[in-house]
This record gives sequence, structure tokens and C-alpha cells, in this order.
Amino acid sequence: MTSTLTPPAESAPAAPAPAGKPSKDRSEFRRKLSRFDLKASPYFYVAPFFILFGLVGLFPLVYTFVVSLNDWNLLTGPGEWVGLDNFAAELTDPLFWNSLFNTFSIFLLSAIPQLIAAVVIAAVLDQNIRAKTFWRLSVILPYIVTPVAVTLIFSNIFGEQYGLVNNILTTIGLDPVMWKTETLPSHIAIAIMVNWRWTGYNALILLAAMQAVPKDIHESAALDGAGAVRRFFSITIPSIRPTMIFVIITATIGGLQIFTEPKLFNAASSIPGGPQRQYQTTVLYIWDLAFNRQEFGKASAVAWILFLIVVAFGLLNFWLSRRIASGENRAISKRRAKRLARYRTEQELELDRLSAIPGAPARTGASVPLERDADLTPEERDA
Amino acid sequence: MKLSRHTKVAAAVAGAASIALLATACSSGGSESGSDGDITLTVTTFGTMGLDDLYAQYEADHPGITIKPTNIDTGGNALTDWQTKQAAGSGLPDVQAVEEGWLSKVMQVSDSFTDLNEYGGAENSADQVSWKNEQATDADGRLIGYGTDIGPEGLCYNGALFEAAGLPSDRESVAALFGGDDATWEKFFEVGKQYTDKTGKAFYDQSGFVWNSMVNQLPEGYYTSDGELNVEGNSELEARWALLAQGAADGLSANQTQWDWGGGKAFIDGSFATFVCPGWMLGNVKGNVEAAGGDATSGWDFADVFPGGAANWGGTFLTVPTTSKHPKEAAELAAFLTSTESQVAAFQAAGAFPSTTTAQADPGVTGESELTEFFNDAPVGQILGSRAEGVVAQYKGPDDSVIQEQVFGPSVQELDSGKADGPTAWDHAIDLLNQLVAQ
Repeated sequence: MTSTLTPPAESAPAAPAPAGKPSKDRSEFRRKLSRFDLKASPYFYVAPFFILFGLVGLFPLVYTFVVSLNDWNLLTGPGEWVGLDNFAAELTDPLFWNSLFNTFSIFLLSAIPQLIAAVVIAAVLDQNIRAKTFWRLSVILPYIVTPVAVTLIFSNIFGEQYGLVNNILTTIGLDPVMWKTETLPSHIAIAIMVNWRWTGYNALILLAAMQAVPKDIHESAALDGAGAVRRFFSITIPSIRPTMIFVIITATIGGLQIFTEPKLFNAASSIPGGPQRQYQTTVLYIWDLAFNRQEFGKASAVAWILFLIVVAFGLLNFWLSRRIASGENRAISKRRAKRLARYRTEQELELDRLSAIPGAPARTGASVPLERDADLTPEERDA
Repeated sequence: MKLSRHTKVAAAVAGAASIALLATACSSGGSESGSDGDITLTVTTFGTMGLDDLYAQYEADHPGITIKPTNIDTGGNALTDWQTKQAAGSGLPDVQAVEEGWLSKVMQVSDSFTDLNEYGGAENSADQVSWKNEQATDADGRLIGYGTDIGPEGLCYNGALFEAAGLPSDRESVAALFGGDDATWEKFFEVGKQYTDKTGKAFYDQSGFVWNSMVNQLPEGYYTSDGELNVEGNSELEARWALLAQGAADGLSANQTQWDWGGGKAFIDGSFATFVCPGWMLGNVKGNVEAAGGDATSGWDFADVFPGGAANWGGTFLTVPTTSKHPKEAAELAAFLTSTESQVAAFQAAGAFPSTTTAQADPGVTGESELTEFFNDAPVGQILGSRAEGVVAQYKGPDDSVIQEQVFGPSVQELDSGKADGPTAWDHAIDLLNQLVAQ
């Protein structure tokens, strides 16, 4: 780091210097400049990111909070300062809780089957199968399709009167399901869309984690007689736990912000999210508040509440992964301590055996051959 | 940290570039003046308005003016676009198309639109049907838009299905069947019940459009003319709601998903026999029938009658936001695009029914077209011109669209799906009204 420092002025080559003073000034200036360079440059190099983050991340966050404190109409602009009234109003608004219920319902209906399926697919892909690349590419394929296209297709499939699913159901003599106007069916339909898109993506992430599990553990477990299922649950799953946490948390954050699928599931609906708000998720509710009801202040308040919920999940993630990490450390140090203890006992036994032999060095500990030199004091080494 | 001279320069350039990018990202939009006094006018429209050829013509006739048009796919997306830019206070074009359904929102900020009377508005809008100008005039008497088209409502019906049900099927007899000039909703539901009892099929596609028409044709809708909210205890609305609820209970509604209709299939499989048809809807009917594989033989026709009297649904205005740097030129362009000649051209290009009486009478509008061919040779232009007579410009309060869509939307669906009867659904609507709309 110090190499950019200019040499001190005294040792500077006595170059032709008609007037000594300017030269001294210049070198003084250069020294200052280089000190400045040394101290400040790193901040300038990282500045673009932070300027961008401030503009597109931090500023909107703070501004949204400011908006949420006002009775702010989207078109006519800020009205009265109402403090936290918007938050209070929304926390008692049944439509807000309805949206939160829908969000979590769709999230659970999508995340749980999705993760189970992803783990199973990853486990299958982790086997020694033919045409690996083909299979891996196939599972990621739905992820490439834009969510809008996915939703339009599924929206058609789940049409109530002319949709494919209901056609099949009525053909085999079952009652058609009201996919777009009843709560649970609509949640299931949206969850299916989400799963179709994200299962393969998560499967690939889990697959990468599975491939990092050392094969020799599997082999030794197999030698000990553990079957494939036992090995999967006792070796694979515990080994990919950190990745699982990552996948769960990203799925949670994505799930809490679900918008496109419910928005376009019935695109022409006068209320976004179903005629009686059966699948109006929280983000959709924010959009509805801001752009249909012009309640910009309340929409901002809900946006902040959602932000806090997501942060809470982020902290949960942090806590969980720390617990797992420290749990692992604890396990490791325990194992190491045990091994060390065993090692020491063996040494003791060995020494006892040695000292029992006549002519052997007395058990002084000064010249225990098994100790590493580095652990000995110079005197001991000399001895 | 030893950096070569090159690296330092590169870093400086990169840093400067990123700042420059940020700066330019915020400075686009709005009108620009060219170097030699040329003027660029930005125009934002939506859907198919048929103005593209007119832009070229205007540019040719007015050297020094360049038009930069932006067309947004649907009215809904255009509304979001306009609201966002209006809220941000920047990015609005010189000429902004505004749909009738947005008026309740637009009028809240009517002072952010140029008063066209300052640029010859009275003269330029003289040919418009009078209620169109009333719609575009704010509380202070400022004219903020020129009408491009209107949506007078007639009744689409399926002649083949009417015939099968033993009802008259030619246009004049159908108009007479519903009561001609004195057609009422009572009569409409009465005929519907006959049809449904006879065939076991629904009469109209869903209740939403019917309810819209029922409310919008009244002299006063959800608000009184002096701006008071007037839903709870409004006996006129309640009476119409009761008719609608009875109709749904009698199975007259096919409970279709509006704007979907099974990809048009419902139009050709006999799911329903009548359909509420503003002028611009005729193209939608044709498009839906064709999307489902049908053609003119599917039996759809268009009658010069509408229950409850004249009604209008939709239609667009061209406005000049006050943010425009060239309001005079923008107002001139808007006047040109809404002139009689332009409206006839737009009708031929896109089927938007003209809002000026002179254009409505033009042979280019009243004559034959693809639409007349599709609707069993019905004189579509003439019928729409006749349907436009007697429309009233209803006052639209600030929450009009919220009440229409969010308050009554769920209740209308409850009627159609049989989830609630008339009074219960009405009560639900009142609950929502109290919850969503500040009194």
C-alpha cells in the first residue's frame, strides 16, 4: 500500500531546479495528493455501487416511509400529515389481513410441495443417470419462460367454463372446480403456477449442494449396511442443510412478494385478485390501493409493513444459519477434543510401557519423542 | 495499491460514466426542441385508435413539426402509465389520450390540463355531440379535451338463437320486441325470461356490463349532480339492482368471465343470445367470434334499441397536459386529430365511432364496412348515430370508478354465481362502500 508514496523531498533527485521553492511546493502538493489518493481512493472506487444503492434502494425506502405518514392521494399529491394513522388503519383493515392470509396460504401451498419435489428431483439427478445435461436442462426450462406467458397459459387451463382441467373433470364425471372465484381452488391453481416455474430452479441449486457431499461418506455408510433411503436421510439431507436454508429463505421472500401470477390469473377482473379478493396477495393489494383507489399513503404503509415482515424472515434466516454453523463447530470441537483425549491416553500408556523397560529414559517428559519439536522450549530441545 | 496510469484513467472514466448514466436516466421524456426551431410533439394513445396515417399527413402539411407517437396496448395499462406520470409530475406527452372511464380521476386534477378554449376550443369542438363536450368540461368551465370517438350502446343479439326460441329475428322486429324508443329494462328481463324458459339457456353473458349500462344511462349515477355520494338509499339504483338480481336468479346470466368468454367460444356455442354493445364493442364481438373459429354465419346482429333509453360507454378524448412546452402546437394537433375528416379516417382504420355529428353523417361512416358485413348487413354506422341521440353526460365523482369496480363488482359476481341473493349482495356492496370510500 505504501508504494504509491512519493519519496521524501530530501531524497528526491536534485533535478535542474532553477527556483527551489516551486519544486518544493510541487512535491509537497504531490505528497498531499498521494496521501489523499491513499486515504480516499478506495471510497471512490466503491462509491458507484453505494450511489446507485442510495438512489434506487435507500431513497425509495425512506421516501416510501415519508409518503406513508401522509394522507397522500396518488393524483392530487400529499395531503395532511397523519403520522402513523395509515399503519393503524391498515392493521385493522380486513382487506389487509385478507391479503396477508392469501399471501401466506399461497406461499405455503407452493413452498412446501415445491421444496419436497425439488429435493427428490435433485436426488434423482444426483444419481448416475444417462444424458445428465439433458435432464438438468429440462428441469430448468420452465424457469426460462417469462412468468407472464406461464400465467396466461395456466389461466386458460384453469378457466372455469372452457378450461382444460374442468373439461377433463367433467368428462370423467366430476364437478367442475371454480378455480377463479373460490378461495382454496384459486390458491392451489396459483401455487401450481409458482411450482411449475421454481421447482426446477431449486432442484438445480440443491443438486449442486448434493454433489459437494463427499462420496466416501456414502461409500463407508453403504459398507456399514445403510440403504439408499437411510443414506439419503442421514447423510445427504444433513449435508445440504445450509443450502436448504438458503433455498427456503429465497422461496419465502419470493413467495411474500408474489404479484404477476395473481395479477394475470384473471387479467380482466375489475378487482385485481379475484371478484371477492379470493387471491389478492399483499403486493397486489398495495398495487390496488395505489393505482385503483389512489390511496398512495396507505399503499406505502402496507409496503413498509410487508418490508418489515420480510426483514423478520431475513433475521430468522440469520439466526437459523448461525445456529447451524455454531452447532457444526460445536460438533467438530467435541470430536476433536475426544480424539485428543484418546491420543493423550494412548501416549500415557505408551510411556508407562516404555518406562517399565529398564534402561529406557526416565519418565521426565523432557524428551518425549512423540512430542513435536515446536512444542518444546529451547532448553528441552537442547537436552 | 499500485495502479498503472491506464488503470487510473479507466477507473476515472468508469466512475464518470456511471454518474453520467444516472444523470441521463432521469432526463428523458417530454418534448424537445430541435436545433433549427423544429418542434417535436409527443403523443400517447392506447388500443387501436387508427391515427397512424393522420400523423404522417400532419407532418407533411406542417413542416418543422415532428410527431413522436407512443401507443400503449390497453386502456388499463395506459391509465397506469398516465397516473404514474401525473403523480411524478413529469414525463407526460404533449398530447395525451384520456378514456371516458378515467374522467372521475382526471377531473380531480383538471387544472393540470390545458384549457383548450385558449386555443380556439369552442370553435374546434363545435361539431362534437353536446354531451361529449360537457364530459370534457371541468367544474370551472374549462374544456380539457377534444372527443375522438364515443361509445353509444345498442343491443347485439343472435338472430339464429332468437329464431330457435320462437322470437322475431329481424332487426326492426327485435327493436320493437324490446319496446323500440320506449324500451325498458323490465321489458328486457321479461323477454329474457321467455327466452330462458323456452330454451333453458342464458340470455346475456354476465351481469357486469348490464349493471354498468343501467347505472351510466341515469341522469345521476353514484353521485348527485352536485357531487354528493348517492348510493345508500338510492331507490332508483335499488330498483334496477332488484331487476338484475331477479334476472340472475332466473338463470338469464351465463356467468361468463368478462373479457374472456372462453377465448370467444361463448359467442358461438349459444351460451347467450344478447350482448350489450357500445360501438367499439362491435369489433370485439367480431374478434371473439373469429378467435373461436366462427364467422358472419354465427348469427350476430345489431338492433337500434337499448333498454332504459340512450346510453354511452367509453370513448376517448385528446388532452394537452400543462407540462407541454408547446401547448399551442399540441392543441392544434389535437384539434386536427379530432376533426371530422380525421374521425372518418379513424373509423375506417379502427372502427372507433366518431364523436362529431358531421362525421357520423359522413358516407364513410354510414356506408358498408367489414362490420356491416359481419353483423348481417346491419347499417352499423346509422344505428350508432341514432343510438348517440339523447345520451346525458352524467357527473362522475372522484371515486366513481372505485364504486363501479370495487364496490359493485364483487356483488354483481355474487349474483351471477348464485353466492348471494339480491338484497344480501346489495348489503355487501354498501359494506364495501363504507369501507373503501371516504364519506
